[in-house]
Amino acid sequence: MASDPRHPRLDRIVDPFAGVLLGADLPDLTLERRGEVVEFVRRRVETMPSLTRFGVTAIGVLYRLLLDVPFGSFAIRFLVARPLPILGEYPRLIRSLGYAYVWEHWPDSLPSGASR
Amino acid sequence: MITTAATPSMDAEVLVIGSGAGGATTAAILAEAGFDVLVVEEGEWVEQGSVVPFSLEQMDRQYRSGGVTVALGLPSIAYTEGRCAGGGTEINSGLYRRPPHEVLARWAAEFGIVDLDHEEVSTIADEVERAISVTTVPGPSSAPSEVLRRGADRLGWQNSEIPRWMTYPGNDPAKGQRQSMTRTYLPRASAAGARLVTGCRIDSLDTGGGIARRAITTLAGGRRGTITFRYVFVCGGAIQTPALLQRSRIRGHIGKSLAVHPTVKLAARFADELNVPDDVPVHQVKEFAPDLSFGGSASQPGLVALALSDQWATFSHAITDWRRISVYYAAITSEGRGKVRAVPGLRDPIVTYSLTGRDRAMLGSGLARLALLMLEAGADEVYPSFRGAPLVRKRSDLAAMQAQFSANKASVMTVHLCSTVPMGEDVDKCGANSFGRVHGTANVWVNDASLLPTAPGVNPQGTVMALAIRNARRFAGTERSRG
Repeated sequence: MASDPRHPRLDRIVDPFAGVLLGADLPDLTLERRGEVVEFVRRRVETMPSLTRFGVTAIGVLYRLLLDVPFGSFAIRFLVARPLPILGEYPRLIRSLGYAYVWEHWPDSLPSGASR
Repeated sequence: MITTAATPSMDAEVLVIGSGAGGATTAAILAEAGFDVLVVEEGEWVEQGSVVPFSLEQMDRQYRSGGVTVALGLPSIAYTEGRCAGGGTEINSGLYRRPPHEVLARWAAEFGIVDLDHEEVSTIADEVERAISVTTVPGPSSAPSEVLRRGADRLGWQNSEIPRWMTYPGNDPAKGQRQSMTRTYLPRASAAGARLVTGCRIDSLDTGGGIARRAITTLAGGRRGTITFRYVFVCGGAIQTPALLQRSRIRGHIGKSLAVHPTVKLAARFADELNVPDDVPVHQVKEFAPDLSFGGSASQPGLVALALSDQWATFSHAITDWRRISVYYAAITSEGRGKVRAVPGLRDPIVTYSLTGRDRAMLGSGLARLALLMLEAGADEVYPSFRGAPLVRKRSDLAAMQAQFSANKASVMTVHLCSTVPMGEDVDKCGANSFGRVHGTANVWVNDASLLPTAPGVNPQGTVMALAIRNARRFAGTERSRG
């Protein structure tokens, strides 16, 4: 599904980080399912109210950039593990949307994301 | 109800913006009084039964922004708004509470609301209860609901079943049909001649000299249009109503005093399967009301996972037992306040909310008491929804849980939003007069939850409907006689 033209590049901002985060949290979720979940998360970000979407996108850019720099994944693990105001809300949002989607659609999934 | 196709140019004697608890009742009363009424709804008409209640698909189709809306603050508070024909009445729990007399008396005294007659409101409440079939469950309530009753009874805490706007064909408790606005007041408005247009957003009202003359609209596909009218009732709910008034350059006490019932949650696991994915418990615990109330939340497996997600590292094992888990909330009457601000160039308003120190403490003690109630009801494990939360298995775990709680680490949310255009004659703290006419305007009324001067401490939609009918009748009497 193509991104909404009003929100160009959100697929490039949200998808990589959401994929990495959900891949680490739910390592046995199949790639196909993970892709479906990531697409759902991005669609929800696209329909957020204007300012919230802007803020989420800005923080998302930071996390996206961290993915590409040396030691970025270490920095991400550090940030994600801490209950930081504002910065910590982005991974929290992705997790909450992602988990809700996984267990609504595949309710018998194991905590690792594997099918039972 | 047959909806009318939106066109770029429409007109009406009375334009009603929004079709929820305030808009639908207003439309029915005014259409039956002989006014030419046009109801405009931004969302779509969704037939009951066509989406699973409390599912992500329902959030896509009937909630604003897919249910991902938040009042910014520390912590931010997630909230939801209906965006469909019937508004919040289509998607909420359907639990009905009468307007509390003591609350009405306090509002009248503190905000200068004239003629807020208890007997009149009670008579209207009787009428509303008949119209929307307010009733209790025929027979035993669901297992998650029984948890609340059982735990409260063991602690000696006051609790009761809250009636709902629901009918039960064949007296089958599992076959409840929600008597929301699309089943009740909207068809009634239609029968009296009102027209309903869906998929039409009102961007602003053209105003000058305190008179609004037309509404600027955006239709499906982005087409722009206008609606001319003689009177307008803004009933878009406590977020959209003040935002529209601000975009229309209507000033005054608009959007400055958002009130909510902040809630925190936990999930509780029991020995036997009890999860009911598509319904919510009907019992509430009111031992500490109005400051603090306990009730049950939607608990389909995705929402159970959501409740566990703040402490996934230690709680994730429970998700495989979701059939033995249900989600519960502790709601407080907050002393904090929030704001709704429309910003030029942004489609959506900015919403903020600040909890007070007392609110934060109350959320922590509320969650601890709720966890105690779960243990008394037989829970073998309790999973509080905040980052760093410990697993609770016995009473002695509660002190540590409360000590580790911080509102900033919790998933705080609310579904009851009100008070952004409070009603009353005191213009320093009220945006509308005692019957909903916006101060400083001649023909702009508000008739929804925005008018409630404070959060009422109970499910508010019964109060919204009763006051909306009261105000619509007053309008019909005075404006019709003026000709």
